[in-house]
Order: sequence, then structure tokens, then C-alpha cells
Amino acid sequence: MRSIEEKRRSGTWIGQAITGVLLVILLSLHMIVHHFVVEGGLRTYEQVLAYIGNPLVVTIEILFLVVVTYHAMVGVRAILFDLPLNERQKGLITRALTVVGVVIVGWGVFLALWLFRMARLA
Amino acid sequence: MNDNGLFGQKKTITLKVWRYKPGAIDPPRYDTFQVEANAVTTVLDALEEIKATRDGTLLYRHSCHHASCGTCGMRVNGREQLGCVARLLEQGSDVVVVEPLAAAPLVADLVVDMTPFAAHFTPAGMRLVRTSEFNAEAETPAGVERFTRYEDCIECNLCLSACPVANTNPAFIGPAGLAAAYRALITGERSPAEVFAYVDHEDGVWRCHSAMECSAVCPSNVNPGHKIMALRRELISYKVKRFFKGG
Amino acid sequence: MAVPIQQKSPVARVVQAWFNPLKRSAGFLAFVLMRITGIGLVVYLLLHMVVIGNLLRGPAGWDSLIQTMKAPWVLALDVLLIAGILIHMLNGLRVTIIGLGFGTQSHKGIFWTLMAVALLLLIYSGWLVFTK
Repeated sequence: MRSIEEKRRSGTWIGQAITGVLLVILLSLHMIVHHFVVEGGLRTYEQVLAYIGNPLVVTIEILFLVVVTYHAMVGVRAILFDLPLNERQKGLITRALTVVGVVIVGWGVFLALWLFRMARLA
Repeated sequence: MNDNGLFGQKKTITLKVWRYKPGAIDPPRYDTFQVEANAVTTVLDALEEIKATRDGTLLYRHSCHHASCGTCGMRVNGREQLGCVARLLEQGSDVVVVEPLAAAPLVADLVVDMTPFAAHFTPAGMRLVRTSEFNAEAETPAGVERFTRYEDCIECNLCLSACPVANTNPAFIGPAGLAAAYRALITGERSPAEVFAYVDHEDGVWRCHSAMECSAVCPSNVNPGHKIMALRRELISYKVKRFFKGG
Repeated sequence: MAVPIQQKSPVARVVQAWFNPLKRSAGFLAFVLMRITGIGLVVYLLLHMVVIGNLLRGPAGWDSLIQTMKAPWVLALDVLLIAGILIHMLNGLRVTIIGLGFGTQSHKGIFWTLMAVALLLLIYSGWLVFTK
């Protein structure tokens, strides 16, 4: 039986609430910029480069990715923790989702920086 | 049954009752009974008539017969209700299915094991006997603006049965236990440190996903969903104050 | 014939407890929708991260890909995605407010109002998707 101190996890609910509110802004921005601004609704390669060449844009997109990945991973964890799990399983799930989250963010950051570099070279 | 024609036209209702007795009625089945119901005939009335005259082995819990003791909780057409006030003609169908509560281990027929429920409830500091009864006509003593009734909960377990989390995670304290914790906090019966230590963890106040079904089915005005959220607010405010005080 | 949840298999128990809004009230429907849209959006996130990897193929690879994404069936899926986003986002705001103890007495009204707003925004977005 874990001690009360070990069981304190109020941070994740509050974290979800905060990232959720941030996403209202960030996701709406992302959707509008990528799909409701250009003609045709989908950016061509050139249009992607034109957009991502801005350091501020890259920063916001990476911030968006981190926030959405956190929210997604914690959300999946919250759903799974509604099941009867023992401590070992809970630890395993938390670590697995952390790894998945890091992979997603890592991949996204790589892509963003690669495209940023391509945009700058063009 | 003679009702002196006082309660409107009688109607025949098909009652489907879930039956299960380990070793005797196993595998489980639904037994069908035709019952005569008037405007005030309740599910419990029908069950008692069946037990008295047709099948003496039917098992169910009952006590006060007026929604005060919380003993006769069951699911009627899929929804948690107290059998003693669930009127047969108000169920929206000529076929009424009666099943035991969810989120608690089955014992037999309509009886479930209330031990897990009590296990989450008792440490919360819930008084098992109400110490005050609300009386609208009573004069308040000097300095008291109004009476506030804290102990509405009749421990019927309907909220736990309706909760989507309690049905998959027995470690969750549950709506009744958390509502009792909130009451223990605001009546001052337990210290904030004690109450928060009990509820501040991932199977406590933070496991709730605000489905609010507990409040929807509560027959006694407890509104556990609201109390869980209020408990969160108190907890956050307590932690923020403690953080700034350096404690 | 229905079986009490305690007797169902683990998977059936989860489905019954988390995804069946019948006989339940508005708050429960909100819970079900959050769960379904949440899972859907996580799946979409993973797919999306894979698909945008095609940008590494340069203009030839990417531009031909986005042409295929203008097919009607893809646009329909896009509208479904927007629906998922709107439901999850607006209801998420409600969960946040209620989860802090505010507005719990009117949570049902708040839910239906937000879903009406979501529907209006969805209709508008859907129109944009299919006309732009």
C-alpha cells in the first residue's frame, strides 16, 4: 500500500486543465493557419516553407506540439487509470506513455527544424 | 389487491426480475411475472407480492419503505432507483426490468455486497446516524441565520452504481465517500489535513471525470458530483495557501 | 438479454461502463463524448505525425499527396475531425470550470449550449471545407 505522499497526483488534472485551455488557442491557431488561410485549404510544399521559415512560427509550432502531446499522453493515462491496475502496471503505463510522448515530440521537432533549415536555405 | 379505486386505472405490467443464486439458480436468468399496478404501486410492492404469493425464494433488501433508509437500491429499466419509490407506471414501459445495483459484488438475486461501499465511506468520517433533522418551521436560535442540512446521504449506493469509474475501478473512493469527506470537512468534524490526506490522490478526488451521473440518480438531494468538485476547490485553495505560507 | 455489469467480460464491462449513454443523463453523455473524441484525437495525432513526415520527400512527394487529400471522402473525414475537436474542446472547457466547483448546478444547460455552439461552428467549418 503506497503512502499518501506517493499517491498525490493532483498535478495531472490541473496540468490537463491548463494545457487544455492553452490548446484552445494553439490548436485553433494551428487549424486556421494551415487550413483556413491558403487557397485550397492545404499548404503545398512551397507554402509550408514560406510559413515555417519564421523563427517565431517554428517556436509556436513546437510549443503546440509539446502541449498537445502532453495533453494526449496524460489523457490516455487518465483513461487507462480508470481500470483496476496495480502499482507495477501503473508505473509501466506511465513510463510507456512518456516514451511515446518523447518520440512524438522528438520526431516533430526534428521535422520542424529540418523544414526551417530548408526554408532558410531556399 | 383492493385499493378502493383511489389510485386510478390498474394496468398489467410485465416484471422481469434478475435471478441468481450460486449453486441453485445458476447460470442466472430473468424470471417474468405479470403484476397489477395502479398509480402508486412501486417496484418494491410488486416484489413483496411476488415473494409472498408466488416465489418465496426471491431475495431483495428492504426496510423503511419510504426512501429514508437507502436499503432497497436497485436498477429499474437500467437506471438506479430506490425500489420503494419507483412507481411501476412511471417507468415509461409496460415491461419493467429489475436488476441489482452495479459496481458492487453480487450476492444473490437483487442483493449486492455493500462492504466495498462501506469501506470507502467509513474512513471519510461520515456519521452513520444523523444528528439533526431539518424542520422548515423551526425557529433558528439567536445568531443562526438558517439551518443547513449536511447529512442527506442515506448510503443507498445508487451513486456508486451509476458512476462509470466505480464500475471499472474498485479502488476509486466513489461519489458517496467523497461527498462524505466534503461534509466532514465543512462541518469541522475532521481537520482539513485529515480529509485531504484521504482524498488527495489519483483514486480519490482526482479520479472523477465529472459525468455527474451520481447526482442525477441520488434520491436524497446529496448532489455528490457538486460536492466532489467543491472538495477539489477547497483542496486547491488549501494547497495554494500552504505553498505561500511556506508550509 | 441484458446481463448485469458485474457478470460481463472485462471488455464488455468497460464498454458498458464508459460508452453506453442510454438511460443516462446529459453529464454522462458528455463523459462518453469526451472519451470517444479524446481517443479519436490521439489516434489522429499519431496518424498526422506520420503523414507530415512526407514533407521530407520534398515538393514532389508532398504536393501529390495533398492533391489526394482533396478527395471528398478525405474532406468528410476532415469534417469529422473538426467535429471531434469542437466537441472535445468546448466540453473540455466545461469540465475544467465544473471540475473546479463552478457552475455545477447548471452543468447540463452549459453542456447543451456548448454542443449547440459546436454544431454551428461545425456547419460553418464544414461549408468552408467543401467549398474552399
